[in-house]
Amino acid sequence: MTQTETRDAAAAARSGRGRGGRRPGDRSGGRGRGPGRWTVYLFVVPAVVFVAATVLYPLIFNIDLSFRDVGVAQIVAGDAEWVGWENYADQLGRSAFWHALVTSLLYTGLAVAFAFGLGMALAVYFNQRFPGRNVMRSLLLLAWILPTVVSANVWRWMLDGSYGLLNTVLEAIGLIDGDMFWLARPVPALFAVVFATAWSFTPFVMILLLAGLQSIPEQLYEAAKIDGAGAWRRFASVTMPLLRPVNLTALLLCFIYTFKTFDTVFLMTRGGPGEATMILPIYAYNEAFQFFRFDTGAVSTTLMLVVPLGLSILYFRYLRKEETA
Amino acid sequence: MRRTGGRAAWTARVAGVLVAATVLAACGSGDDDGGSADTDGETTVSLWHYYGTPDTPPGAAFQNLLDRYEEEHEGVTIEARHIPFGDFARTLLQSAAGGDLPDIALINAFMTQSMADAGVIQDLSDRVEEWGEQDAYFETSWETTQVDGATYGIPHVADAYAVYYNEAMFAEAGVEPPTTWADMQDVATQLSDGSRYGLAFSGIEGDEGATALIIRILAAGGDPAALDSPEAATALTQYTDMISAGAVSNGVLTWNEEDAKNQFANGQAAMMINSATYVSVLAEENPDLQWNVALLPSDVEAATFLSAENLTIGATTENADAAWDVITWMQQPEVLAEYLPERNKLAARDDVDSGDDPIRAVFAEQLANAWAPEGAVAAASSEVFTHIQGALQAAAGGGSSPEDALADAQAKIDEALANVE
Repeated sequence: MTQTETRDAAAAARSGRGRGGRRPGDRSGGRGRGPGRWTVYLFVVPAVVFVAATVLYPLIFNIDLSFRDVGVAQIVAGDAEWVGWENYADQLGRSAFWHALVTSLLYTGLAVAFAFGLGMALAVYFNQRFPGRNVMRSLLLLAWILPTVVSANVWRWMLDGSYGLLNTVLEAIGLIDGDMFWLARPVPALFAVVFATAWSFTPFVMILLLAGLQSIPEQLYEAAKIDGAGAWRRFASVTMPLLRPVNLTALLLCFIYTFKTFDTVFLMTRGGPGEATMILPIYAYNEAFQFFRFDTGAVSTTLMLVVPLGLSILYFRYLRKEETA
Repeated sequence: MRRTGGRAAWTARVAGVLVAATVLAACGSGDDDGGSADTDGETTVSLWHYYGTPDTPPGAAFQNLLDRYEEEHEGVTIEARHIPFGDFARTLLQSAAGGDLPDIALINAFMTQSMADAGVIQDLSDRVEEWGEQDAYFETSWETTQVDGATYGIPHVADAYAVYYNEAMFAEAGVEPPTTWADMQDVATQLSDGSRYGLAFSGIEGDEGATALIIRILAAGGDPAALDSPEAATALTQYTDMISAGAVSNGVLTWNEEDAKNQFANGQAAMMINSATYVSVLAEENPDLQWNVALLPSDVEAATFLSAENLTIGATTENADAAWDVITWMQQPEVLAEYLPERNKLAARDDVDSGDDPIRAVFAEQLANAWAPEGAVAAASSEVFTHIQGALQAAAGGGSSPEDALADAQAKIDEALANVE
């Protein structure tokens, strides 16, 4: 995710609507008279070509791959037989695939919940004016900017059983005795990758929500105060309802980014211990690059698209309802 | 969707997507280094291996071997490229899809069958026939080069897993290296004290972490690919007991072989199960450490796990003759006799003078009862081993009973073997 995307998302959040596009039926623009009429489209050609080459083509190729019988031999020989839905039947009949899907949803759900809760708390906190606010806000962004390779490895070292920072602290206050290998136990390992992911997404959520918070008129709070609403009541009755579109945008983006996260989990646990953190992206990676079953690997990545896609559709339908309401 | 384009186009597309996928996996793929035969008699032979960069002890020893070949052969240059073990098979396949294979690939012996099935490496049967030295090789080593009755590689070196033990700790406790697995449990328990453990090995996620359990199953007289057996249950139960009693650290589930070596080198483990790779590394990095090696303990059988590489020739090379010359030169007994001590590895053949180093003698004796996967298990070894590690993980860290963990893993192994056509 690039800075521009973050900015766009924040802008979209501020406008209270998750899309910057025109409303259907809005037909201004692009309708010059005479020869200039088509030249406008030339300006978007580079972008279209770029997206087609880097996103659409691999996507379509991947879907094509999932309908063929592709193992190592086919990769080398360069010819693959079309087998229709066979690979899909194979994957959907595998308990390991379903386990990976459930793990993915669990991991994503927990990480989004943590990131959102923390991000909301921080956004409300930084929405007040106090000295040093901007410096602290920028510092928090570090978590978001830090390359995953760095942060995931730091987490791994902190959680190491024999020399990790966490154990040193816990031992110092007498909570544990001796070594404790967090990443070698299923439940702690899952929570470790959830926290590491949530930690890096929190600043992103905070910025989105902060943008939303700053668009809420101050008078509403003043009116609520006069009516005798306490701080919690103001948050529940003024902030939350007005933030709803921003919240949804933040939740959806956060969910999609987390759902396709590969690097954090791969670097921390490789999907282990056992299959405790075997999320779909790692499952697909193993299928394709550990066991060289490229076809079923492609099946799982194709199926991986379904969840975020479904959510996005629901989200847009909700937005339309909001607009017409 | 109809088939579009010809074979070449499809290959190019696959290569493109694979490369893109590699970028995603955050490891850059290399450049074009196919060998070339120039008109003025200059030959360049490309060779890929995973022994290490020239600044590591194993990598340096290997580079010396290549340098010696170049000195003796005017006009031949060997371009060596080191690819880390974890990326090796994948990189080779990607290059195969791109039609860009090295002349010589020094591959993990257990990968020979799948690489041959994939058409990545050539059938060397006719050359071997003419060469006629196959009978000098140990059976287990030579067996790894055989695919459907044809020979696809020449064993480069052989190595096996044995026990490294800390002599100072043993002397202090007044114990001897264990000869049976029951002894091993006693000694490991005696030498552990909460911060120091009796035994270290690699039990990390993936196929690398399966070795220790395979070794224990073999010792019990079991078959590593048949986990629903009393032998496998004996093996896994013992490891689980050792871990829960603190004789073995729970951390083995997060350690690769290098990590296990570090535990041993730092004095945090009194013993480790590892291959001879670390003999020179320990000597160089920890000169003050007093250690020695002993044979693995036995239970019903004396057995170990083979660790070996085969020299193979890329399927698409134009330099097959030059590559074959390099391979056969490397396998001459007098060349091996000079090279092997530098690597602390053993010859895969019986006509090499192995010197009188006592440590190498132990590994040589251990190698005599080395096991390697065969048939369908060899073809799917990466996956089968991954599930074996899964059983260790589930029982030692995941709270399953050993029997449940083994039954679970067996079901996955059966599925993996059914996938091997």
